[in-house]
Amino acid sequence: MTPPRLPLSRQPLRQLQDRIATGLITAGGIGVLLAILAIGVFLIWETLPLLSFGDALTLSTLSPLAWGTLKAALAAMLFATPIALGAAMYSALFMSSRLRSRIKPTLELMEAIPGVVIGFIAGLLLAPWVERNLTSTLLLIMWLPLSAALAGGLWHLAVARLRKRLPLSLAGIWLIPWLACMAALALWLAPLIEQHWLGGDLRRLLDQRYGLDYATRNALIVGIAMGFAIIPSIYSLAEDALADVPHSLMEGAQALGASRWQALWKVALPTAGPGVFSAVMIGAGRAVGETMIVLMASGNTALFSASPFEGLRSFSASIAIELPEATPGGLTYHLLILAALALFIFTFVVNTLAEVVRQRLRRRYQRLGGAL
Amino acid sequence: MRRLTPRLYNALHSGLWPWLCAACVALSLLMLTALLTLLITRGLGHFWPATLEEVTLVSGDVVIGQPVREAPLPNADSLERLYFTGNRDITGANWRWVAIEDIRHQTVPNDLIRLERSPWGDFLGRLTAVESEGQRLTGQEAWAFVNNTLAKPASQRPAGQLLLTTADGQTLYQSLDSVTHFQTPNAMSWGQKVVTWGQRIWQFLSEGPRAANTGGGVWPAIFGTVLMVILMSVIVTPFGVLAAIYLNEIAHQNRLTHLVRIGVRNLAGVPSIVYGVFGLGVFVYGIGGSIDSWFFSDELPSPTFGTGGLLWASLTLALLTLPVVIVATEEGLARIPDTQREGAVALGATRLETLTRVVLPMATPAILTGMILAVARAAGEVAPLMLVGVAKLAPQMPVDGEFPYLHLERKFMHLGYHLFDTAFHGEDVQAAIPLVFAIALLLVLIVLALNLTAIFLRHYLRRQRGNEC
Amino acid sequence: MKSYCIRRGNKYRLLLTGWLMLVTTMASGQTATVGGTLGAVGSDTMAGLVLRWGEALNTRYPDITLQFQAGGSASAPPALVAGTTRLAPMSRPMTQDERQQFLDRYGYPPLELRVARDALVVVVHRHNPLNTLTRQQVDAIFSTSLACGAQQPIRRWDALPATAEWPFGQIALHGRNLASGTHGLFQSSALCNGQFRRDISEHPGSSAVIAAVGESPNAMGYAGYNHLSPMVKGLSLMDAQGNAIAPSVSAIQRDEYPLSRYLYLYVNLPPGDVLPPAEQAFISLIFSDKGQQIVQAAGFVPLPEHHRGAQQQWP
Repeated sequence: MTPPRLPLSRQPLRQLQDRIATGLITAGGIGVLLAILAIGVFLIWETLPLLSFGDALTLSTLSPLAWGTLKAALAAMLFATPIALGAAMYSALFMSSRLRSRIKPTLELMEAIPGVVIGFIAGLLLAPWVERNLTSTLLLIMWLPLSAALAGGLWHLAVARLRKRLPLSLAGIWLIPWLACMAALALWLAPLIEQHWLGGDLRRLLDQRYGLDYATRNALIVGIAMGFAIIPSIYSLAEDALADVPHSLMEGAQALGASRWQALWKVALPTAGPGVFSAVMIGAGRAVGETMIVLMASGNTALFSASPFEGLRSFSASIAIELPEATPGGLTYHLLILAALALFIFTFVVNTLAEVVRQRLRRRYQRLGGAL
Repeated sequence: MRRLTPRLYNALHSGLWPWLCAACVALSLLMLTALLTLLITRGLGHFWPATLEEVTLVSGDVVIGQPVREAPLPNADSLERLYFTGNRDITGANWRWVAIEDIRHQTVPNDLIRLERSPWGDFLGRLTAVESEGQRLTGQEAWAFVNNTLAKPASQRPAGQLLLTTADGQTLYQSLDSVTHFQTPNAMSWGQKVVTWGQRIWQFLSEGPRAANTGGGVWPAIFGTVLMVILMSVIVTPFGVLAAIYLNEIAHQNRLTHLVRIGVRNLAGVPSIVYGVFGLGVFVYGIGGSIDSWFFSDELPSPTFGTGGLLWASLTLALLTLPVVIVATEEGLARIPDTQREGAVALGATRLETLTRVVLPMATPAILTGMILAVARAAGEVAPLMLVGVAKLAPQMPVDGEFPYLHLERKFMHLGYHLFDTAFHGEDVQAAIPLVFAIALLLVLIVLALNLTAIFLRHYLRRQRGNEC
Repeated sequence: MKSYCIRRGNKYRLLLTGWLMLVTTMASGQTATVGGTLGAVGSDTMAGLVLRWGEALNTRYPDITLQFQAGGSASAPPALVAGTTRLAPMSRPMTQDERQQFLDRYGYPPLELRVARDALVVVVHRHNPLNTLTRQQVDAIFSTSLACGAQQPIRRWDALPATAEWPFGQIALHGRNLASGTHGLFQSSALCNGQFRRDISEHPGSSAVIAAVGESPNAMGYAGYNHLSPMVKGLSLMDAQGNAIAPSVSAIQRDEYPLSRYLYLYVNLPPGDVLPPAEQAFISLIFSDKGQQIVQAAGFVPLPEHHRGAQQQWP
């Protein structure tokens, strides 16, 4: 017999309460999980009627959209991946920790800027500007990395006192005015370059010599705008992976005479590789599904074209503008749901892959941390 | 190669690459700053009482207008300038392009006025006189009279009419009751401009849209956004917390739980539009359609719940943000040391008691963080709402004095969609762009504020936890 | 998309409170004073117009408020048949099927009122030297099917005599998305029911079309007349006699401009009956000078004088 801590009559009540609560929580939890599962089931269920419509039609309608989706995502990744990974490497390994604790949340806040705002700026401001100043844009894209390298070169040549005042660990900040000046320089030079080397009008040149058409809202614009939107998610995850590389590894490499960059390149990056890979994957997932930016900045032309200067049309944008008007049960309705299913499966696979890779990485770190 | 130029190789590796990486950070920050600066200057600048210019052209025409922007003329090296001229009832258009070369001289006379009227929009020109109740006022008196009159509520305004003169000397009679705002921007002092600026921002935040969304404020959209987000968090928080508790505290930690956890995390990466499709197919057409056929059959074929509405939008967004809440709560739960739970159990507490007395209080900040992150994500989300219930203009607010006060089946206005609609569906895109900037700024501010709250909360939570451990 | 408007009369409301989904139903009485709410369901092209009418009505009779559901013209007839609304603004006439459905339900046809005129305009950049197109050229530019009788498609600006020098390159085409009525109307009236080209940028709104065309000299697009602005130039079209007709107010009013049309208001009015005062006030407002002035202010074209007078004599 146990000593009664409470009146005996209340014990069974407590037990009962506990059972009921546990049951409810379990039911709730499983219910939520089932609801989540229902998304996939619903999408598959609603695409089944398509089988009766015949598949030739389906393929020809959806394939330009699939191509557009991939093209937009690819353009965004081309823009975002180098910037995000570069930023992640710098802030994980070169930046002073004080600065890092400020910069990281700031860059992560970028993720919070709604797509509709970025899309509006890209579609109504950036696109016409780029069309008028195509040379400047292309020049900027080439000139900015060069100017960063130039800054590095100048820094190595500079006197020691200046180098101390402007250390590499704070370069993320003091390069901002430098880059702004360099961008202004490029904008100033662009018309001259266009005049002297490109025959006065780059777009005319593209048209006459290469037969390239230029659409105002094109893959280039989408790439820049959507790239801007996915930089933070890639950056944040890749930075986490790099910053979590056990310090002992880096220190060991440096003790053996490697420079900081060599240690990063040869040790940290291979170790954190899976984490960086999963960051890129998650970025790709976001790029594939982003709706408002593509809707507002892509021109929505269902074309099979590889040209970065031509428009595109993606699954997500088509769903957003056509689905509310589609009659439930009609062909368009089911086709659009098939598009949604494709998006769902793609992002789910990509994210699962990323998650599995990341968990493996976490275990590897634990092992390394434990062993050393 | 490497042997030939080892110094160059070294310099490249330890010298240049870090700089390129640093430039990536700098570039991201530069882009972010540029975006925010653009939004702030254009968004807030929209409310500033702009100076009006009087331009005499080479052809002898006189234009009164507010300079908006300049664009290069094609095939020539000069520019043309866009003026907002108003007076659509007289000239047929609100805008006029003027080539810079055509301008003979331009002045900024103090007696120019700007009237906001209905239905014709703005009038730009001069106020010659006011005729009201038998008296005729001119000059400064007329200005004072108009200002006083417009300050009164509509019912107490005296009848009267304004005698207006346009740039090219035409006269126009405008009855006083069709005028909503009166401004004399060129004659204003700096202080007056600041006051007017503040007033116009306040009107923007507190009034409803006018003239078919081309003017007025965004109050219904703010209200709709906030209400939808509140409803969503009321739905998502309990379910998210339940699921997290189940996964973390009750379910056996086996392979299946592990898989489920991965699945839940992945759902955070599923595109929002897919949730929108699900919401439309299941909530609106499925559940909504059934509700209609059971309870509202006398209203059919016009749907009550079988069309997008507040409830379905909130539910869809709740589903969308569920993974966010689950993940955040789980993180909080996982951080609670097992010793705490074991201590509670050792003292004889049942599982329910351990949960409610020990675990949940300790996890509250994490739950809160999850909720705020969910709210921040939902507030900026537009694509799924386009499918499940947002409206271009919802004259009935979802909350009013009519029973049952909260109308879950009504459509509502949303800031993000309002932005999209104003920018792409408006009547005059040129006039809409400044307004769109203002809306964009407001939306970004709301979302950033929510995110900052979450960040500080997390920071605070971590510091507190640090003290405890 | 359909209307959610609540019908006047006995109404049962479902209240779903939060996630427990408690179901409560109740009946509420109706209000039938001179004021009250006026429901209308229909065209989103006319949304700006109808809402401005509503605002004007509200200024005149503060007790009347207009609730308008812009769900597209296709949403109007079902709502009218269902009795959800008595007023249905539409940017196209009712089809035979829609009319028949109404007739089957009520035994009399809906009253058709023509309330304003509108047109589709082909637009180019404001500095584009092009001024006039023939119907065949429009079709050759926008379609692949050439259903209106053109010989070959026109892809480049130098294929048109007026723009042989400038602008250069391909004609960048802009239009509306598939779901919009403007898309359908342009297809049937300008392309002779042909197929659109695939490389047309499909914008989700007419003002986006104007913005896009206004920004690039080598663009061409189509949009509703009410969206015209000095950013772009509306092209004249050749009529059957070979006269170039500019999209002007008078040409649209007289139906000379080829792509012009009426905007309609359908009313559920049994023969010999009178409308409730609120509806009555709304309709008299529309045909009054003020109402037609609002038509103009909203960017559309007012009805010709004679036409207005004739319609005003209805009961």
